[in-house]
Amino acid sequence: MYHLDGTDVLEEKYYHKTKSICPVCQDKIDAEIVEEEGEIWIKKTCPEHGDFKDKISSSAKYYKWTHFAQRDENGNTEWEFLKNGEANPPDKQGDDPRGCPYNCGLCDEHLSTCSLVLIDLTNRCNFNCSFCYANVRRAGYLIEPSLEELDRIMKHFRNKPIPAPAIMFAGGEPTVRADFPEICKMAKDNGFKEVICATNGFGFQKKKGGLEFTKECFEKGLDTLYLQFDGINNATLEKTRGINNLIPYKERVIENCRKAGLTSIVLVQTVVKGITDVEVGNVIQYAIDNIDVVRGIIYQPVSLCGRITAEDMQELRITNADVIKEVDKQTNGKIGIDNAWYPLSTIVELGRIIAFLADVEPIEFTCHPDCGFATYLVVDPDSNEMVPIIDYFDPLKIVDFSNKFWEKIKNKEKEPIKFFENFLGDFGKTLDKGVNWLDKQQLRARFLAGMLQYTKKPGKLMEMFTRILLNGEWESISAFTHGSLLIGSMHFQDAYNLDIERTKRCVVHFGVAMPDGSVFESPFCTMNTLHRSRIEKIVAKKLTAKVENEFDTSKGVKVGEVTQQDLMQQQEVAHNGGTKKEE
Amino acid sequence: MSQEEVVTKDGLKIRKLVDLKASTAEEYQEAMLHRVEHFSKRKDSVFNDFVENTIVQGLKLALNAKVEIDKMLGDNKDKVHKILENVLLFGL
Repeated sequence: MYHLDGTDVLEEKYYHKTKSICPVCQDKIDAEIVEEEGEIWIKKTCPEHGDFKDKISSSAKYYKWTHFAQRDENGNTEWEFLKNGEANPPDKQGDDPRGCPYNCGLCDEHLSTCSLVLIDLTNRCNFNCSFCYANVRRAGYLIEPSLEELDRIMKHFRNKPIPAPAIMFAGGEPTVRADFPEICKMAKDNGFKEVICATNGFGFQKKKGGLEFTKECFEKGLDTLYLQFDGINNATLEKTRGINNLIPYKERVIENCRKAGLTSIVLVQTVVKGITDVEVGNVIQYAIDNIDVVRGIIYQPVSLCGRITAEDMQELRITNADVIKEVDKQTNGKIGIDNAWYPLSTIVELGRIIAFLADVEPIEFTCHPDCGFATYLVVDPDSNEMVPIIDYFDPLKIVDFSNKFWEKIKNKEKEPIKFFENFLGDFGKTLDKGVNWLDKQQLRARFLAGMLQYTKKPGKLMEMFTRILLNGEWESISAFTHGSLLIGSMHFQDAYNLDIERTKRCVVHFGVAMPDGSVFESPFCTMNTLHRSRIEKIVAKKLTAKVENEFDTSKGVKVGEVTQQDLMQQQEVAHNGGTKKEE
Repeated sequence: MSQEEVVTKDGLKIRKLVDLKASTAEEYQEAMLHRVEHFSKRKDSVFNDFVENTIVQGLKLALNAKVEIDKMLGDNKDKVHKILENVLLFGL
């Protein structure tokens, strides 16, 4: 936080009022976010169930940086990391008088558009992780949307005024579905730029057929594997996944992707205090060693579902700041908490300018500053050392310039120049098109010059960055990410730390095909905290013993052969309000 | 990559990164260039756009020159950047 050092911001105690929910009755209650002894806490009281307190950040200094606001000489806010997005029109008018987050669907209180669509392809899985919310055995019913339902969800998100650019298939384990490659193709056919699979690697790692499966998925449109990767020690993976000797399993995935030409793997580490947090540096090392196919690392501090005591909460809670501190410690300060990390919302204006000037779909990361932080590691061609990307740019100056630039040109997006049209009719319209084109070219030249002056080093990577600025195309972004390593941390909310200000800005939205032909769209954290069990009961299919016993989850392997016909039979009882087994 | 390997009492291998020196620097650039090659196979790829390729090369030269000028400006760099920024935002 070198830029906050010596400022009044650090001296002022952080305080903010917000709304949250009671972890017991889930009713909406007032909450306050306060600074105490160098940490940030959320405190709330339910009239019926008492007081609750949970840690939001273990570093008040870092937290205050992520809530930074740039002010002019008169004290007015010029820009800040907390943003409101260009939201799509709501899907429904909420009928619950309590408002957000009970009216998901999506309602008119939402302040961001969707950047990443999430679809649970199935809740079948070859693993049985203790902290997973989506598992066929634990649920007692099957969730598995049909191809027609999946197509409907995809169209729902792509047909909006601001279409979602990326889609992630999750589960369960998505690759247990035999039609998974077809689903990847469907996503591409529907126009998604980036198709991602959140996976433990099942389909890709198979000794027999794994390589062919990987090739087929890649050829049909799969861009990125979001690969569950908790560490490089079998002992760590055994603790988190309950399965022995999983490292060779993960290495087969990496190797098959390498052979198939699928060169975009993101390693996803679930960070659990005392279990996987000691391996954050190991994962960075592993990524660098496999840089030809690994594009990034995402740390996910574990979210706490279900009821736990205050003592257990203190024991288990790990925040984004804790992860960043561990990265700092385990990389000997090379990726420092003080200067390397920025909230995801940092690049919003930059993205809007690029999209406007290049006439491409915008990517709106207008999520709350608490949702996630990221940095890029790049190779310095002079020293051959991996350095945070801030060595290449002056990030704060670029952010500042982008914000000021967008503030001045944003009206041009909605109100293009109409000069000749007024007195020359249709011919004037054509002339105005030319004027607008010329105007964009001069804006582009100014913007590039501004970016150039805050760039510190030349090189191939900078050439790729220039291309992003010029065309905003996915190809340029993809090539840029292949020359760098993204490191990010995303902390999902649970009922204890839920802040409705965050929920309203969520950019990761679940889509569920409902029996009435509609699509239920919900922000990620509210889906898991509030809506999942109700929605799943509506769309659930009855579970047969054959499906239930399909995998030996102590080894992560398939035992019973479940055919497409078995699953089709279950399609027939779909939407019957499938009930939990114990009910 | 320089590193020290530590084995904890639980038998976990923890690799303490002493620095982030990459033996794989070239691989990074190659991975990026392979990606460009992959996209270039498509006729409508942005990497096959003559005008854009020319602009990128022009900007590459401009950036090289800018880095040298920044060095010459020394302590006056920030002042010059501020003036240029105001010029770039003028009239918008």
